[in-house]
Amino acid sequence: MLILKPKFDFEVSVEMEITPSVAKADEQEIKDFEVYYGKKKVKLSELFEIKKEGDEAKLVLEGDFSKVKWVGTRMDEGEIVVKGNIGDHCGAYMTGGKIVVEGNALDWLGAEMKGGEIIVKGNARNYVGCAYYGDMTGMSGGKITVDGNVGNYIGEKMGGGEIEIKGSAGDFIGTEMKDGVIVIHGDCGFVGGDMKGGTIKIKGNFELVPGFKEVEDGFEGDVNAGGKGKVVKIA
Amino acid sequence: MSDIMLHIKNGIVIDPKNGVNAEKMDIFVKNGKIVEESEVSGEVKTIDASNKLVVAGGFDMHAHIAGSKINVGREMRPEEMRTVRLIAGKFRASIGRVLLTSPAIGYEYAKMGYTTAFEAAQPPVGALHTHEELDAIPMIDKAALPVFGNWHFVLKYVAEKDFEKLRAFIAWALERTKGFGVKVVNPGGVEAWMYGGNCKSLDDEVPGFGVTPREIITALIQETENLNLCHSVHLHCNNLGTPGNYETTIESMKLASKFSNEKRQVLHVTHVQFNSYAGSSWRDVASGAAEVAKYVNSVDNITIDMGQPIFGHATAMTGDAPFQFTLHKLTGARWSNKDSEIEGGAGIVPIAYLPKNPVHALQWAIGLELGLLVDSDKVVLSTDYPNGGPFTEYPYVMAMLMSKKMREKELERVSPYVQKATNLPSIDVEKTLYEVIHMTRSLPARVMGMDSKGHLGVGADADIAIYDLNPLEVDPSNDFETVYKAFKTAVYTIKGGEIIAKEGELVKEVWGRTFWVDARNKAAMDAIESDLDDMFEKYYSLQRVNYGVEEAWIKKPERLVMG
Ligand SMILES: [Zn+2]
Repeated sequence: MLILKPKFDFEVSVEMEITPSVAKADEQEIKDFEVYYGKKKVKLSELFEIKKEGDEAKLVLEGDFSKVKWVGTRMDEGEIVVKGNIGDHCGAYMTGGKIVVEGNALDWLGAEMKGGEIIVKGNARNYVGCAYYGDMTGMSGGKITVDGNVGNYIGEKMGGGEIEIKGSAGDFIGTEMKDGVIVIHGDCGFVGGDMKGGTIKIKGNFELVPGFKEVEDGFEGDVNAGGKGKVVKIA
Repeated sequence: MSDIMLHIKNGIVIDPKNGVNAEKMDIFVKNGKIVEESEVSGEVKTIDASNKLVVAGGFDMHAHIAGSKINVGREMRPEEMRTVRLIAGKFRASIGRVLLTSPAIGYEYAKMGYTTAFEAAQPPVGALHTHEELDAIPMIDKAALPVFGNWHFVLKYVAEKDFEKLRAFIAWALERTKGFGVKVVNPGGVEAWMYGGNCKSLDDEVPGFGVTPREIITALIQETENLNLCHSVHLHCNNLGTPGNYETTIESMKLASKFSNEKRQVLHVTHVQFNSYAGSSWRDVASGAAEVAKYVNSVDNITIDMGQPIFGHATAMTGDAPFQFTLHKLTGARWSNKDSEIEGGAGIVPIAYLPKNPVHALQWAIGLELGLLVDSDKVVLSTDYPNGGPFTEYPYVMAMLMSKKMREKELERVSPYVQKATNLPSIDVEKTLYEVIHMTRSLPARVMGMDSKGHLGVGADADIAIYDLNPLEVDPSNDFETVYKAFKTAVYTIKGGEIIAKEGELVKEVWGRTFWVDARNKAAMDAIESDLDDMFEKYYSLQRVNYGVEEAWIKKPERLVMG
């Protein structure tokens, strides 16, 4: 297990593509792990207090990590626990393992993730499980759970997996969604634009884009895109 | 240009224009030119090229490296911009997977030993923008070919059979756009596309003008020859990308038969791979490369370039707007369409060539068939960057042309469709190193009419590439991996006498020249004055006085006056 604590308040963002596997390396290697602080390449030890306990593939991030981006990118095993807030792109492209954020997450949480699990106890912002600009498929496997609220563009171009939002969401949920499931327990704005497949389940109020037709168990669309996506109300 | 003197010692030189085939020689450079030994004295920098191949800098005569199309491509493909090639430091930041940013284009050519690249389709009204972008590309010499085949002036003069005016118009347009030669894209078809149509055969009428592609091509060849431009008409044929189109291609080539020029071809047909399909639909599509090659080989006034697809990412972008719409319908990929005033249009569609996809594998095989079956003196190596793929893979194409073994290895991973639909598996031709050097240096220079380029004779530009390859020892047929690797990264790239790249690392940023052709003294320019005023008044969104590019706005212009 590896425990990281910021040594000071970061003035610019830290680009840190770190995965739990790093915890398995020896201490010097961990200290020398390279990250970007703004445009400068620095060693992990220049930014964080580092404590290593055993070789388990587990990262514990203590303190405010909201300026730290790309944590858990492409991770395929192990666990990350963030005892605070986390920055953009957390868990992007991840294929396995588990991330637990006890505070809030910013944008692009689990973008294009393929497997594994992300749990956020606070809120997340926009683009949860989305595709990066220009890519064809967003999240395609795994599960993201957010206990609080989220912003806009949740599950855009989603191709599989599940996103569960226990609070409310913003606009443009499941836009161009192809497969997978989005569950929203609270309210949200527009859903399903250009949706091709998959299911969106909503407990609260929502607004449907005009391209949906009513079917037995909910709504189907987006007919403008020849879609067979489902938007259903749940109890 | 540098005043440094260079002595390149003991290299093994291949210089097809001067008939030098793997001879151990020394090359001397002074004031950016290649000179006799007696010319250099005093402080001379020596480069030891022992056991290394020394050739002229590579010359890409058909690539899309500047202008509105590639910029729209960059905008619509943010995913292309995630590949970081160089973080800003001594050199500028450069990014891009296949669609490179302007600095990246210059840097990547330089690393590969290429020193010249021509933009093959410049929308005339976008000429200033194109030149600004060309000016942002370091390291290489450049030029741009404006598109003529759908320009209302051209359609009008051809319809009226007023060839004197057409000639003056070409000269006027080249001067205003600081252009290099006459590019023609799907003649008439892009105009027809404005009405939802296309010109699929040479005899389809262009709506509103009563002219046909046959008449447009013929008239443009005739007046290009009358102006004696550096380069011939540069034709992107009608019916591009359609099964059965090889017949249209050959028919278009036949239009050149009544013209001749002792210095060069009278018609260059470009990215011919996209125009060499037999069959009647995508279900029974096959290669028409053998027929096209047979025709090209049988005449001496036509050259072509390959338009070789490379497996992986690419972006289709051509002035052929109707074709791009078809491609978008075929692939379901994003699509952007451009219309430039009364001059033409363009389309952009992302594409990825997949080895297992029968059509993509077929296109890949056809490109190679053309490269192998057409006489090396008539076919230039190109990928039609970024349409067929990245120019950075030219070494792959070079190695493939030289090694049947490498082709056999590659054939194992592609769709078996190529086995029955093309001749590639049975072609035994292996081009020699000498031929491939010709196809990438001396031939493109001749095709573009650039006497100072593509060779290492005294008086040539000191654009030189040195590769870690000993032509006296290497057997390209078997050592294809060595050949590929060697051509990927030049040991030295020298531009205008300065070392700009060394073993894949950039050494110095230099700025090449932009060539343009001035043929106004060969035409009665007054003849079109009132027409220009009239057309600008009626049809253009900007005034004539604001149209075009002044020489002073270009970083390093070089005017070539036609005699
Ligand atoms: Zn082209």
